[in-house]
Amino acid sequence: MKIEERPVLNGVVLDITGDLTYANREVFTAAVEAVRRKGCRHLILNMAVVRFVDSSGLGLLALVSQQFKAAQGRVSLVNPQSYVLEIMSLANIAQLMAIYDTEQAAQAGSPQAA
Amino acid sequence: MPNPSSSTLQDADRACRVSSPTVLVVDDEPVTRLRLTARLTRLGYRVIEACDGKAGLELLRRARPDLTILDWMMPGLDGPTFCEEVRCDPAICASQILMMTGHDQPEQIAEGLARGADDFLSKAASTQEITARVQAGLRTATLIRALEQTTEDIRRKQDILEQELRSAAQYVASMLPVSGPLLPGVRMDSVYRPALTLGGDLFNVLPWNEHLLGLYLLDASGHGVSSALRSASLATFLREESLRHQVGSKDPGAILTAANQQFPLTDEGHYFTIVFARLDLRARTLIYATAGHQGAVLHHRSGAVTELTKPGLPLGFCVPHVYETTEIAVAPGDRLYLFSDGLYEVPGPNGELWGRVRLIEAMQALGHRPMADVIAGIVEQATRWLGHDRFPDDAAMVGIELGD
Repeated sequence: MKIEERPVLNGVVLDITGDLTYANREVFTAAVEAVRRKGCRHLILNMAVVRFVDSSGLGLLALVSQQFKAAQGRVSLVNPQSYVLEIMSLANIAQLMAIYDTEQAAQAGSPQAA
Repeated sequence: MPNPSSSTLQDADRACRVSSPTVLVVDDEPVTRLRLTARLTRLGYRVIEACDGKAGLELLRRARPDLTILDWMMPGLDGPTFCEEVRCDPAICASQILMMTGHDQPEQIAEGLARGADDFLSKAASTQEITARVQAGLRTATLIRALEQTTEDIRRKQDILEQELRSAAQYVASMLPVSGPLLPGVRMDSVYRPALTLGGDLFNVLPWNEHLLGLYLLDASGHGVSSALRSASLATFLREESLRHQVGSKDPGAILTAANQQFPLTDEGHYFTIVFARLDLRARTLIYATAGHQGAVLHHRSGAVTELTKPGLPLGFCVPHVYETTEIAVAPGDRLYLFSDGLYEVPGPNGELWGRVRLIEAMQALGHRPMADVIAGIVEQATRWLGHDRFPDDAAMVGIELGD
């Protein structure tokens, strides 16, 4: 798994490449923690090239969402692939964080039907 | 001439009892052997001797000296062959061997090293050189012994851990219900295949009275000890007495709503998915609630299948959250199956998952057979897809059949 951090207006984008799974949890957690320490209030997870999310990955997404909410922040997901979107739909992830088609929509904060 | 073989065994026993480094000298020439023994003894080492390769090998196995100084040319078993035999024996293969020769040609040294010697010592070596090479060999021997001891310690601890895991697995298995009749006209069959020794999946049936049955299947994210302990903790919460005190209701939605409060996400993001159902034999209804769990199917006697699950939040994802209860009618001959995703999320050789659709197709195709055969057949098809019988995730399935 590879994660690159990119600042945007009023937030930070993490471009994630690879699978969000139990095996990669430490890489993901470290990247998110680095963003949290900087006081970021809006974390945008770019899921465009994430191929698979397992049950541990879902748990990490829920955990990150709770952590940002507790700090009056929010987490947005951008452009998950259809299989990943299906996995997240079964766990109602959309109830925890907004899912957007594009990064611009996520920055604007206007939910779209992803 | 004294017989070195008999005296050396006593020396070996003595050597085993003391902590000073022990050096085994193997040489068929008595004068050379005695001279080297005298020099090593003066240097403070305990020395044991063998007069040929065969006796030396026997002594090495018995006394386990810290270092062996070995002549190249000997009748019978020569030095290089001695080395080869040592390296082939797992019990002594790490022994340090210093090959002694009157010739120190590069080709001969290369051959000796290739056949298992660790270093060379010229028969014409000075006392200083002997001291230096013996000390170097002993340093290596000490490191190897320390490594062997550490490996043995790790192996012993691993054995203890595995024994504890087996005990814990027996405890988890003891929590699972036994296949067979549950209530008059109700039968249960199940399978439980943890990915590791310990699994995070758990199911149970709770005969609340002669016509009311509670049942659940839960899946803790992650694997191993922590998952199993968290599952056991939730299973304790779901006991009848606990539900009476902590929930005050046998409504599945109320139970999951309370469990959601009790079991938040862990600091590592671990959580549960669960399906909890209540079967009322008198009213012929099944009421149930699910929390992110996708494995619950009602297989009607007609062959039709009703999937009982729908998208939903796993336990701990959102607190507070109200889980809804759904009701469905059941009839004699119907079978209720609860199963974990580990049973169908099994990859084939090209990475494609077997999937829930194939599982349900298998269930329907086998539907005319006894329920235990249906479950065994599903496991058999999943393992055939997987290519082996080690499920990558915990796999569990429980079936409840309503008699006529």
